[in-house]
Amino acid sequence: MKTRRNEIKWHLLLAVIAFLMIIPIVFAISNSFKTLPDAYSNILNIIPENPTFDNYLQVFNQLPFWHITMNTFLIATAVTVFKTITSFLAAYAFVYCEFKGKNIIYFILISTMFIPFTVTMIPNYLTISALGLGDSLLGVILPQLGDALGIFLLRQSMRSIPGSLVEAVYLENAGHARIMGDIILPLTRPAVVSTGIIFFINSWNEYVWPVLILKSQSNYTLSLALQTYVSQEGGTEFTVAMAVSVMTMLPPLMLYVIFQKYIIDTFSMSGVKG
Amino acid sequence: MLTARNRKDKLIGYILILPSLSVFSVFMFWPLLRTVYLSFFEWNMVKPVKKFVGFANYIDMFQDPLTYKIIGNTVGYILILLALNFIAPYVLSFVLSVIIKKGQNIYKKIFFLPSIISLVVGSMLYLWILNPVSGPVAIIAKMLGLTFPVWSKSEGLVLVVLSLITSWKVFGYNFIVIFAGVSGVPKEAIEAAKLDNLPMWRIFIDIVFPMSSATGFYVFIITIVQGLQYVFTPIKVITQGGPNYASSNMIYNSYHEAFTLFRTGSSSAFSIVTMVLFIILLILEFKFVEKGVYYEN
Repeated sequence: MKTRRNEIKWHLLLAVIAFLMIIPIVFAISNSFKTLPDAYSNILNIIPENPTFDNYLQVFNQLPFWHITMNTFLIATAVTVFKTITSFLAAYAFVYCEFKGKNIIYFILISTMFIPFTVTMIPNYLTISALGLGDSLLGVILPQLGDALGIFLLRQSMRSIPGSLVEAVYLENAGHARIMGDIILPLTRPAVVSTGIIFFINSWNEYVWPVLILKSQSNYTLSLALQTYVSQEGGTEFTVAMAVSVMTMLPPLMLYVIFQKYIIDTFSMSGVKG
Repeated sequence: MLTARNRKDKLIGYILILPSLSVFSVFMFWPLLRTVYLSFFEWNMVKPVKKFVGFANYIDMFQDPLTYKIIGNTVGYILILLALNFIAPYVLSFVLSVIIKKGQNIYKKIFFLPSIISLVVGSMLYLWILNPVSGPVAIIAKMLGLTFPVWSKSEGLVLVVLSLITSWKVFGYNFIVIFAGVSGVPKEAIEAAKLDNLPMWRIFIDIVFPMSSATGFYVFIITIVQGLQYVFTPIKVITQGGPNYASSNMIYNSYHEAFTLFRTGSSSAFSIVTMVLFIILLILEFKFVEKGVYYEN
């Protein structure tokens, strides 16, 4: 009896946390459909009094919104494709090839996850400027074509493939291209897909590096555009800002809803070492 | 497996890591060396000549009282982030995996949801939710007869709020990673302890915590290293380090020195010191793990 009551208490606590996690998103969606007076006078109402699409229309008037969304999409797609490929190739080499210095190179690459971005920020900014890529999408993409977390996650998933499977093909004298294409890629597809999704979401949300590189509004990504709406007092553009927030959240949310199991499984794995 | 490889094979190994290695060389290792180099010079990114100043940037840094304020803030951020994103998810993972067992997937899914949302969006939403005049929290506080403080102008409190915003994003990720570790603890060990009538908190401290500590230590480190970098976004978006540097941390200060004050030397010195602190943490992790922490797999 006592344990039952205890369980209910814990469920209550977990439910409160779950509520706190969700409520900001609910408020954002609700405010994005409110008129400004409604948003300011009925603050605690989730359901808008006179639901309106005006805020969304305003976004397109105030910003080159398609352009900004396309910028974000292009950067995220390029970064995702390249990171996934370079990580996959490197992970394969670290698991299935023997070469001198393999372990130390792997160790050094993985250790970079613990280097703060401030350490590389000034030189990378100078490099990108020297290449004439300041204020360009390419300047955002270029330093992000490789990824330590990706190598780590894909190496983990390759190591879980039974060695006998690979050995059988290897003994047939098959080349690495065949081992990679016929065995490793199909067997690690879930990990490859979710690593790719993680790359895409992270790049979509990225702020620190783009804010250093991109200066003109037509080159902005969604995070940078949203930042221009920030105001301590709330401001008269508040409901429009909520509409921008909702549209910025939408693609990652959709990916999450579709691929949640993949994403959670892959992230769970990132703490398990080997 | 796959021993006795020939020379061709070795070459293939190098070719396959080459793309990653070149990106890391140009945009990670080379910049790292260059930042070390820049930390010995006085420069503003524009002047044609850099002035060599030896260790002056480091000495200045440690003589500036502001540095100690920022280090203090950084410690504050670390403590709050650890409480909310290491201790809390650890205890809750234990509760969910050992005590109540029901609803694991739904909680995991909901907790993780904010992790996929941009922290600029998070900052925007919380700026409204926690608006001291017209935000829902202030309204509810008013109904209860309380006044909600102007947190963005109050030293100490501003740091707590920015940590909370960051935790909204970080908590879920840490939770699912720790949960995986806690779930990996052999059920027999827990059942045996239950038969011995060991109280739940003892089972947590004596059995589950040590037996999942490899994952635990990873999350501990990542909370500090990534957490301090995640906080950068709400700081930059909401307070720009203010009021009076009360919300700045070591990461933000490097940025501020470089791109607001255009002092590449002191920024670089600050970054290098931050990195050294992170490396010490990493070494501690390896020491700790070598000492025979229980390994899940």
